[in-house]
Amino acid sequence: MTGKVKQKSGVKGFFKKVYKYRAFLLMLLPGVLYTLIFAYYPMTGIVLAFKKYTYAGGIWGSKWNGFENFKFFFQSGQAGLVTRNTVLYNIAFIVINTVTQIAVAILLTEIHNKHFRKVSQSIMFLPYFISWVIVGVMAFNIFSSDYGFMNRLITAFGGEPIAFYTTPKAWPFILMFFNLWKGVGYGSVMYLAAIMGIDTSIYEAAQIDGANVFQRIFKVTIPMIMPTTITLFLLSVGGIFKGNFDMFYNLVGNNGLLYNYTDVIDTLAFRALVTNQNFGASAAIGLFQSVLCFITVLVVNKLVGLYDRDYSLF
Amino acid sequence: MKKSMKKAAALTLSAVMSTGLLAGCGGDSGSGTGSAAGNTGSTGSSGGAIDTSEHVDLKMYLLGDRTPDFDEVYAEINKILEEKLNCSVSVEFLGWGEHDTKYSLLFSGGEDFDLIFTASSWGHYEPTVAMGGFYPLTEEFIQTYAPDIWDVVPEVAWSQAKIDGTAYMVPNYQNEFGQDVIAVRGDLMEKYGVSQITNWDELIDFYKKCGADGQYASQGGPWYQYFQAQGYTITGGAPKGGELILYNTQDPSNLDFTYILDWEGFADYCHQMKELADAGCWSQDVLSSGDERQTGLLTGRTAGMIWNLGSCRNYAEQANKEHPEWNVALMDPVANQPKKVNSYINNGMAINVNSQNPERAMMVLNEFYTNPTINDLTRFGIVGKHWEPVGDDQFKVITTEGYGVDSNCNWGWMNAEIKRTEYKEDRTALDDTYDAMLASWESNIKEEHIYDGFNFDSTNVTVQMAAVDAVIPTYCDPLINGLVPDVDKALEDFRNAMETAGIRDIIAELEKQAAEYVESKK
Repeated sequence: MTGKVKQKSGVKGFFKKVYKYRAFLLMLLPGVLYTLIFAYYPMTGIVLAFKKYTYAGGIWGSKWNGFENFKFFFQSGQAGLVTRNTVLYNIAFIVINTVTQIAVAILLTEIHNKHFRKVSQSIMFLPYFISWVIVGVMAFNIFSSDYGFMNRLITAFGGEPIAFYTTPKAWPFILMFFNLWKGVGYGSVMYLAAIMGIDTSIYEAAQIDGANVFQRIFKVTIPMIMPTTITLFLLSVGGIFKGNFDMFYNLVGNNGLLYNYTDVIDTLAFRALVTNQNFGASAAIGLFQSVLCFITVLVVNKLVGLYDRDYSLF
Repeated sequence: MKKSMKKAAALTLSAVMSTGLLAGCGGDSGSGTGSAAGNTGSTGSSGGAIDTSEHVDLKMYLLGDRTPDFDEVYAEINKILEEKLNCSVSVEFLGWGEHDTKYSLLFSGGEDFDLIFTASSWGHYEPTVAMGGFYPLTEEFIQTYAPDIWDVVPEVAWSQAKIDGTAYMVPNYQNEFGQDVIAVRGDLMEKYGVSQITNWDELIDFYKKCGADGQYASQGGPWYQYFQAQGYTITGGAPKGGELILYNTQDPSNLDFTYILDWEGFADYCHQMKELADAGCWSQDVLSSGDERQTGLLTGRTAGMIWNLGSCRNYAEQANKEHPEWNVALMDPVANQPKKVNSYINNGMAINVNSQNPERAMMVLNEFYTNPTINDLTRFGIVGKHWEPVGDDQFKVITTEGYGVDSNCNWGWMNAEIKRTEYKEDRTALDDTYDAMLASWESNIKEEHIYDGFNFDSTNVTVQMAAVDAVIPTYCDPLINGLVPDVDKALEDFRNAMETAGIRDIIAELEKQAAEYVESKK
């Protein structure tokens, strides 16, 4: 019905509407421009995945070479390993981060001393602003076997020092810790906002019905922030095949000994890029990741939709 | 309704937050491209006749760090260039820690520059040529725009620089030895009762004594020394900077290539390294450490440092100045072998294929290379401040502070014909060792092996090269530094990974090209 009305009113009606909603459209403009410039325009670079890139030819002038660039990833023999690492790390990050962020958000709202709440929130937020490069240096000073803080601590208590940089198994935990430490304050803000949005009369009703603090959290708060949680979960699932390059590269660096446990798709692509200047292969891997992520989002969104249509993104 | 409101709120909030977070990077990259675009003001001069009527500013990339007086020295150079060629050169540096990652990005990022330092294997020459990053230097081009370079640089140097028939760099011209030595703490040698380090066994013995004393010996395993002691050397353009495939350079009649995983020597080396690493001869953190090559020696964390003769002397001098009691000395751990002179393409200068002014860039190189005043400026700094000439062919250092001798990536235009040698007044034991070592090397130069000038061109096997090079760090570096728990298993894994990645294709292609090269030289 509305479509018909639109067609009838034609171009004139369109401009009328533009004029009528000018304030909203103006507010929308920066976001649209931003997305076009930083998300859609760079996508033209996808053509690199199908080209034999040379510096002289650039992105547009280089020759096409079909699916040649995709061979690298599978030929490397590491495709399975790095894909597994990437996905497992991301699942771990999503689960741990979501649970901790919700917990932190709930704890923060339960704190009644305003100053203490603000201070602890700020302190938790702070690591978010520290660059991964710095975190990498900090990690080295903590875990170094010669003068690392951790080993000093262990030996002070009479333990045997651990050579972290030659112990691959320790790294999933170290990476998870730093990822959490850096993201928890930032991520909890959104849950905090969602909790603040819950109607206080529900809590009052719960209190009158005799709910204790745990019942309040589990029966009221968590169900009420479920839509937010699921939306954020869907958004993070969208990146499940993308490794956080900054983190892995700065914490692990060139230490090949740890690669079996820490090499992700992005770091493998990076090595192909810097040692052989193979831009095509890196672009191909990027495209491969994006396609996988796209499929994952579609599937998960569908599944969520089956459970409750309102929860799905689209 | 409520649910969808909340969903919308969450979406908006997270969108806003991620936008805010990306805005920082976005702003950066935006301004970056803006300034790059702003620089492209100059246009190319008409080819053919040399026309320098239009003033141009050239941009040059060098490796290393900018010394405090660097700009002052280059201001002097620019005065000469302005007068002679109506142009000036501004220099940017790619630091030692970053050039591996940033070199290729200069080309792909569309950075506007004209000249760049390059070198075979360690200086990205072959991969950049394979990607078409350098301006091809035809004979006619060189003769027209750099006639003096053409007169000086020997034919053999050009032929080393040629890949598939075309040269893409101006190679330097000097006899530089491709042999590292060890700068080692004299006080520790005395303490451990080691009188000299001239061969592999003595080196390992010293390392073990360091380890037993709780003193790190080095910042990793002496892999080069191992294969050099057996006469092997790296193959230009092969994976891992040439280390994966070796050839016997001491035996010119031996035209075989040695793939290290088919060589029992590599397994033997890895077992020895495991023993040394377990004995504490170097830190367990060497693979993750961001230390510079000289850090260990200068801070006293390691007993020695293995590097080329010149760097070893410089840092030994510095260490002795700061800690006279250390008595750092120079030793040649591969003393028994005749010395290999580095190929001339171990340092060189290239022109960016997208340069607006390749002709002028070549003319500037001609000046750097053959104008003694400029060449001396780049090597030593300013007369009267950093150095002073002694006669026509010697120099005396006034101070190494601020600029230093040959420490400003001036190696691309080293020219043996006008190269001054050092005149020293108060000589130390170090200087005597250095001179004696150099003299003995010069009298013991090895026979030329035909592969010394050969460079592998990986264009036909790019996929395999990318796969091999991306996988190597996982297996090779831990083995070379003895950090794996089980050497035999690690070797087996390494071997399998290389087979999957297509090492055999690379070897086959290498052998084919080498055979053609040998044929073409007959």
